[in-house]
Amino acid sequence: MLIAIEVGLLILVPCVAFVALWLRDLMSAVIVLGAYSFLMCLVWTGMGAVDVAFTEAAVGAGVSTVFFIAVLFNTTRNITFNPLDVSSKLVALVACLGFGYVLLQGVSDLPDWGDPYSPVNAGVSTYYIENAYADTHVPNLVTTVLADYRSVDTMLETTVVLIALLGIFMILKKDRPAQSDSSDTQAHDSLIIRLSARFIAPFIQLFGLYVVAHGHHSPGGGFQGGVILGTGLILMAMSMGMASAKRLLSIPRMIILAAVGVLIYAGWGAVPLVYNGYFLDYSVWESVFGSMARSHSMLIVEIGVALTVMCGMYGIYMSLVSDGGMQEGL
Amino acid sequence: MIINMVLVGLVAFGTTVTHGGPLHSVFNALVGVLLIAGLLFFLSTCVGILRFPDFYTRLNAAGKGDTLSTILMLVACALMVITSAHHVDRTVVLSAIKIIMIVNFIFIGSPTATHALLEAAHWSEIKPWKRNDPPC
Repeated sequence: MLIAIEVGLLILVPCVAFVALWLRDLMSAVIVLGAYSFLMCLVWTGMGAVDVAFTEAAVGAGVSTVFFIAVLFNTTRNITFNPLDVSSKLVALVACLGFGYVLLQGVSDLPDWGDPYSPVNAGVSTYYIENAYADTHVPNLVTTVLADYRSVDTMLETTVVLIALLGIFMILKKDRPAQSDSSDTQAHDSLIIRLSARFIAPFIQLFGLYVVAHGHHSPGGGFQGGVILGTGLILMAMSMGMASAKRLLSIPRMIILAAVGVLIYAGWGAVPLVYNGYFLDYSVWESVFGSMARSHSMLIVEIGVALTVMCGMYGIYMSLVSDGGMQEGL
Repeated sequence: MIINMVLVGLVAFGTTVTHGGPLHSVFNALVGVLLIAGLLFFLSTCVGILRFPDFYTRLNAAGKGDTLSTILMLVACALMVITSAHHVDRTVVLSAIKIIMIVNFIFIGSPTATHALLEAAHWSEIKPWKRNDPPC
């Protein structure tokens, strides 16, 4: 029964992907891409990778759809397509074939899928599966690998989010906001939308905090929780107007908080250096927290990730929607 | 509010039902009826979206049918979590209560989304369909 559902989902996924490529209207293509992300989320849930599915549902189906729509709103939703222009297509074809050939060459060097003697299965993951709980007292293995064993990787991922935020912010930033009549946005105000957004937003924030704080016991963690927290802010910006969202979290404070998130992560990892440890080696904290040192350190590191991701999502949304002016949105 | 009380009461009643008793089969039948009703409403939603002539009527079908069928099926899920568990303990009841929370959020969120879409359509001056108009 379950395998039938999974096969059906896996057939639907390429169909949806082709539909997204085939549609000429970009807005419809974005919606179809959201459906694609949701299907991938279901596939991953079926495979037992709930953490990945969680991220895909929050980022792929939720926030990135909003980002795409914001971009389309400020650019154009139709592809201008010249059937006689073959040269760019030829270049694209050659590039795709070349890269595809190189990638396929690389694939042949990888170990077989599920090969028990591959380096990954023989050494590293066996160690993680057998020793993670004894080492860190964290039940969720994914969080253990993410925030403890492979912590440097995650720290740089958080930095990537910060760099993306700063890049989009600086590219779109305008010195003087363009003169615009604010009455236009006020006219579309609706009482029902405002009230229900105000009702739901606290629950979203609470759930985001739960996902961050409970990330090492159940699926979740800094990235997912940060995205959910950012979604709450985006909901407020959408329903109440950008001015009230900026009253909640102003733009300079947003950038400072995003940097503070990375600073929390790197700073917490740098403290062991003073006490003769390795970078991001949390076992130094055992003098403070006892045997739960690595577990608590993971929580603190996840809070840093969540801060950066929350401010990243919020800042990217504000920049894209207002075309950099930060004055009025959709 | 009243719906919530009824749901929580049902769940609380479901925890007392013993596995394999006569009430258990009644609960199972209730789950089946709710699931089938939800699926029927989903079917009518699909037919409505495909067959209705213009944006407003289509959204009428989508908003109402979608909300109701999702809620019915989620209630069925909440009851099924309780009745299908061999041993009712705290985690089972908690997951049922979480599903009821989802029911609440869908009950608020889905009509609001429909309202937002309708208002956007109204602002972009889409004319409602009249009798004898060609369907658009």
